[in-house]
Amino acid sequence: MNDTMPDLAEATDQIQTVTGDEFNAVVLEAAGPIAVEFMSYGCPHCRTIEPVLQRVAEMVKSKVKMVRVNVAIEQEVASNYNIEGTPSLIMFLNGRQVGRIEGPSPTVASVLTAVTHPFKR
Amino acid sequence: MNPFSTTIEARAKPILLYNDECAICRRIGTWVQKSAQSKSGQKRIIAQPIGDDPKALRVLNPKLDIWDAYATIHVLMPDGSMKLGGEAVAEVLRDLPNTKWFAWCFAISLFGFRPCQMILNFGYLILSDVRPLLGCESCGMPNVWVRPILKMVKWVKGIFAKRPLVSPTPHATLFSAVTPRALPVKEAFHS
Repeated sequence: MNDTMPDLAEATDQIQTVTGDEFNAVVLEAAGPIAVEFMSYGCPHCRTIEPVLQRVAEMVKSKVKMVRVNVAIEQEVASNYNIEGTPSLIMFLNGRQVGRIEGPSPTVASVLTAVTHPFKR
Repeated sequence: MNPFSTTIEARAKPILLYNDECAICRRIGTWVQKSAQSKSGQKRIIAQPIGDDPKALRVLNPKLDIWDAYATIHVLMPDGSMKLGGEAVAEVLRDLPNTKWFAWCFAISLFGFRPCQMILNFGYLILSDVRPLLGCESCGMPNVWVRPILKMVKWVKGIFAKRPLVSPTPHATLFSAVTPRALPVKEAFHS
């Protein structure tokens, strides 16, 4: 039974983790809308919002790709985007930053609006 | 580098997982690593940073969640069980050559209670809460009772530093129901 647990946990993760090396290819050079969550596993707020983000990622997966960047590891990427607090969401459209929000309220409605609103303008 | 590269060796010994994003936790982890070496050169416990890979953690123990690991100190036992919080601290003290002589007291039971263990649990909770005062920059927003003390410490530091205070911690932020703002085109070409 233990052998199946990691697979299950992996399957439920709707958000791809992106490293600093991959950031350009996955976010800046990619076409279409992408929401990037800047987070840290040591941050309690990120933990609170994680299930909400997973749910939103599942809801919008046909329209918006969601990825995460661990600011504790990828400090250069975080610094490039002036991340001063986690969780922060930055929305990119065709590699262009079109919106951002810091510490969104941990509700599906709030995060869903934060993720989709910038792309509607 | 994979922090769990010594997994096979570690299986036979308890593993202390510590938050390597937190200065105080890192100091404790380093101290445990140094103290764990016995006279015969054998280590009775291994201290390793939690790292950032949830999959690597699940290799050590399928029930181990990375968020839990960062929230509370964990000791992974060779039999597959986990000890958390004060129980984990007691286990570490039992395994260190310099502290095992007094760690027996945590097992003393009186009328079903373990008074020394209860004191240790309480001490761990306090230490866990005051980590932001001791240099932890990754513990998020401190608990309500710590916030005024933290503000006061920063204020006092600000007086002596003679420079404007910066935000509490790089990773701490208040939840706010801010509506997302779409940037104008000029701003959109950020950095």
